[in-house]
Amino acid sequence: MTTTQTTHSTRSLAHTFLRIAWFAVLSLLSPGIALAQDFQKVEGALRPELPSVPFVAAAYGFIWIAILVYVLAVARGLSKVRQELAELRRKIDGAGPRP
Amino acid sequence: MRSVGTGFLVAATVAAAGFLLVPRLILGAPVEPVMGFVQKIFYFHVPCATMLFLSTFTCAGGSIAYLFKGSEAGDRVAVSAGELSVLFGICTLVTGPLWGRKAWGVWWQWDARLTSSLLLELMMIAYLLARRYAGPAGRKLAAALALFAAIDVPLVYKSVDIWRTVHPQTTVVPTLDPRMRPAFWSAFALITVVWSLLLGVRVRLERARADLAALRLDADEILEARL
Repeated sequence: MTTTQTTHSTRSLAHTFLRIAWFAVLSLLSPGIALAQDFQKVEGALRPELPSVPFVAAAYGFIWIAILVYVLAVARGLSKVRQELAELRRKIDGAGPRP
Repeated sequence: MRSVGTGFLVAATVAAAGFLLVPRLILGAPVEPVMGFVQKIFYFHVPCATMLFLSTFTCAGGSIAYLFKGSEAGDRVAVSAGELSVLFGICTLVTGPLWGRKAWGVWWQWDARLTSSLLLELMMIAYLLARRYAGPAGRKLAAALALFAAIDVPLVYKSVDIWRTVHPQTTVVPTLDPRMRPAFWSAFALITVVWSLLLGVRVRLERARADLAALRLDADEILEARL
């Protein structure tokens, strides 16, 4: 290895150390810099605004549909039980007079 | 089979009148300045939640009568109220997130009020499932479950005052803008009348099923004796 090559290698190593040291200092300082800054309110920023009407319509629609479905289910159950009761009574009456 | 009573007809007429009047009152009530038009969900969300509580208490009352006195009528009321609990619970848990999505920006928050309400709903679903699938001991098991669900109700109600939540506190209704009160209380009355009607009809169905079961038992004996 020549003297020039040795000097070049030493400089390169020094540059690498300097870069690492620089990044280390920046890493340590950056949270401090961030903390030192105040948050500022952003004026006039665009905010996606959802329309209210679909939400209100969905809420009211859901309630009445749920109640209607329940009423229909109960009415169906009642009608089925009534039919079975009538059928059973007919069967009893059709079996002839009491002994 | 019993005929439809006068009370039932009066309640049905009141409900029909309410369907025409209440939407007008709600649309005529002032728009809430912070949340805007979406706040109109409040007029039915709160009564539905109240009916969830009332149904759970009714279910627990019927369950107590069945557990400690063996009352079949109490059990019929309990199962009917249990179903209404699930129905109004679903209405509350659907309308709430619809309101929350617009007002809070999210559909759901795992906060004390929302989580305890969901828990109550799951307990009432468990009540119905236990009755249906838990075999001969199912009715007693379900009745015990209803008592635990009733204990959860005050916790759900007070959760917004005990813990910090995104949900509005219990002071909303007492401090409501006087111009919003007619709409709110008429919607509340309408939902209460509808709840009473549903409970009445559902108990009637349960009674008819009991009559049918009794007649089936009698029929076997009668038919055997006559043939």
